[in-house]
Amino acid sequence: MKYWKYLICAVLLIIAISLPKFIGVYPLQIANIILIYMALALSWDMLLRTGQLSFGIAGFFGLGGYATMLTSTYFGFNPLLSLIAAAVVAGLVAALVGYSVLKLRALYFAIVTLALGEIFRIIAQNLEITGGTEGMLLKQTMFKGDPAGTYWVMLAIGVLTIIISIIFQKTRLHYASTSIRNDEIVAASSGVNIFKYLVIIFAVTSAIQGLVGGAYVQLYGFVEPTATTFSVNFVLMPVTMALLGGVYTTWGPVIGAVLLSVIAESLKLRIPYGHLLVYGLIMVVGILWFPGGIMGFIKKTFKISNQ
Amino acid sequence: MINSIVNKFKQRNFLIGFIIVLLAIVLIGIYKPHVLFEGLQRAALYALIALPMALLLGIVDIVNLAHGEFMMVGAYFAYFMNVQFGMDPIVAVIPALILFFLFGIFVYYITFKHIIGKEPLSQLLLGFGVGLVLAETITVIATNFPRKLGLDYVSSSATIGGFTFGTFEFVYVAAAIIVLVGLQLFLKKTDTGQAALAVGQNPRGAKIVGINVQWIYLLIFALSIALIGAIGPLFGTRYTIFPAVGGGYTLKSFILVAVGGMGSLNGVVLAALILGMAETLVLSSLQYGKWADIIYFALIIGFILYRSHQRQVK
Amino acid sequence: MTILKTTGVTRQFGGLVALSDVSIEVEENEIVGIIGPNGAGKSTFTNVIAGVYLPTAGKIEFCGRDITLKAAHEKCHAGISRTFQLMRPLVGLNMIQNIMVGAMFGKGHSLKESRIKSADLCKFLDLENTARPISAMTALEIKKMEIARALATEPKLLFLDEVMAGLNKNETMEMIDTVRKIHSQGMTIVIIEHVMRVIRELTHRVVVLEWGKVLCEGPYEKVSSDQRVITAYLGEEAEC
Repeated sequence: MKYWKYLICAVLLIIAISLPKFIGVYPLQIANIILIYMALALSWDMLLRTGQLSFGIAGFFGLGGYATMLTSTYFGFNPLLSLIAAAVVAGLVAALVGYSVLKLRALYFAIVTLALGEIFRIIAQNLEITGGTEGMLLKQTMFKGDPAGTYWVMLAIGVLTIIISIIFQKTRLHYASTSIRNDEIVAASSGVNIFKYLVIIFAVTSAIQGLVGGAYVQLYGFVEPTATTFSVNFVLMPVTMALLGGVYTTWGPVIGAVLLSVIAESLKLRIPYGHLLVYGLIMVVGILWFPGGIMGFIKKTFKISNQ
Repeated sequence: MINSIVNKFKQRNFLIGFIIVLLAIVLIGIYKPHVLFEGLQRAALYALIALPMALLLGIVDIVNLAHGEFMMVGAYFAYFMNVQFGMDPIVAVIPALILFFLFGIFVYYITFKHIIGKEPLSQLLLGFGVGLVLAETITVIATNFPRKLGLDYVSSSATIGGFTFGTFEFVYVAAAIIVLVGLQLFLKKTDTGQAALAVGQNPRGAKIVGINVQWIYLLIFALSIALIGAIGPLFGTRYTIFPAVGGGYTLKSFILVAVGGMGSLNGVVLAALILGMAETLVLSSLQYGKWADIIYFALIIGFILYRSHQRQVK
Repeated sequence: MTILKTTGVTRQFGGLVALSDVSIEVEENEIVGIIGPNGAGKSTFTNVIAGVYLPTAGKIEFCGRDITLKAAHEKCHAGISRTFQLMRPLVGLNMIQNIMVGAMFGKGHSLKESRIKSADLCKFLDLENTARPISAMTALEIKKMEIARALATEPKLLFLDEVMAGLNKNETMEMIDTVRKIHSQGMTIVIIEHVMRVIRELTHRVVVLEWGKVLCEGPYEKVSSDQRVITAYLGEEAEC
């Protein structure tokens, strides 16, 4: 029964890898964007599974982006190393923040993550070494801008994120997350070290977000603090995508990312202003009437039980 | 009431804090007197904007992340009324109150009503989504081109002993006092206000003693929206408006409500005073001015760390 | 040996003193009952011992070690487990997964081992169809599941907080047998109950709480005929 799942995954993977062979540069760019948002949506969902809502996606994304820029520019890191730096920096900062803050939950945590993003942005905007309000340019982008090369790196990151998400679902992490989310007192009474798990998961998911941010900067070759690198889109889109596709699942955010990116591109062409309106409506409708998203709908229709 | 103030002085912490604040005011007054006035005005604006959230979040525990966006819509409403009908924005506050009260009822019925009592996550996301819808709807209607009402009286100023300060902004001080006193009276002196306090403390218990909890939520929500919507025109008199202008104020309001102590309106005003002053002080420094925004965020992080540490010990 | 020893345990919530100077001992393989009128502090006591709250004052010793300030999950690892007065199933997981949480995090078993141990516990407690979601379970099953979840952490001391609440006559008898079964495996049990029949049948010793203080202790016969206890309950005994 399980083999067809692996088969489909293998086929999809082969198609994905060979994509540069038969589609042009512009569709490849879209694929990159989809992969970026997908990884962000998944990492956001992974923390959500513990019951913690983070608005800090853009913050760690930008942090990773700047880490990549700074290590490349000032320490001469090669692209791959600077990507790793992005992930490590984001992860460490998250671990530090989490260690200090995660004794408090829900609302306080959400607002702190929101404030965090703003703080990173302001620091980036005001310091000379980070380029100030003008931003900075990368001397050399990854693979000298070769579209196929950059795409494969993005794909690797995307696949890595999916794998991590599956690990979260299949190991004891799933049980830890779900029990914390459902009832913290029961979880603690049953021996779950809530604080430890929250800090770890927060650090890992933030590291992913930093990694994606680093890749984004390598893709486009610049950082800019006011409208792009720390753009609120990097919070809006992943959250809406995860909600649309179905939270607390791996494939939900993936489906949501693909679907919404396609919708976004087609909407941008037709409605110049306010296409974000559609996302807002999706979010609201999703929360009110389809809390399970697309995956939830599929599960109900085909009566697939909760594992 | 005099008794309780005297009692407060007896607590050592309060005394120390009070002396520090007094010292700060004196020092600022000597070196940068205009900061005192500007700081007060800025603080009043922040307090004014935060009070409706204090009512909704602090009293009945509903998080509305679209808070700032409602104010933004109110500002656009005033802009529209001014451009189309020549109505002065301050006058526009009255129709705004009524309009946004009704709007609040409408929004409550189609959105927040359904997630009361469900996990707080849903409320946060829902508010986020509603805010987005509001901001984008305005963008579609009015584009995101920033607009400013060019009112003359807004730049009125006075000069005392060699330094000049704006006088219009005292409107915010007046408004903040009116709203604060009004809300306090409402909560303490009316049955509905008392009911609201009860619901916030224990919704189930309130239901058991016969309070119509659903109706209270509706009323308080609509009241909060009415207030913040009516503050919009006041905001729009002086500041540039654009669809995204509300978001930052939502965050700052939340910080004030959290730091001021959930449920304490006075606490919110006090927090606003401290933050407004601090922010103005930093802004007045040429060298460090651009870091002014960090004040708020540093404060919330510091506050959370402090609370977090408290939890640890407890 | 003395499994649990509390000395002067006090718990205050603001102005309300829920527990005051509670000093009791529980010996190995005893079944101790805690009774008292509503608001006496019975559940607060469980919560304090289990780590949901820290005591405002006093000391808690478990198997000779001071665990007063340990967090809930640490107390679980030390060997204290409990059920809840109001049923608290983990709704995102099904029956056996709920139990596995205890095995995995209470005792540190691997996922595979936890599944096996949880299945064994289900057999021990007569739970069938273990892949069912919470919504498809009866109240008795949920209660048994929660006991299994607590047992999965392999505790030395088990607190049963009003586990009979809401059960009918037959279900109560079934639950009494279950508790006996657990006890026969060597477990030390503290049982908080309102239903006197259960206390009479199961316990070796009873502690009576009133207004957060220990009113008296002793075997059920002695305690139930004590005038102070009768007055505390206004002369009423809950019969099932």
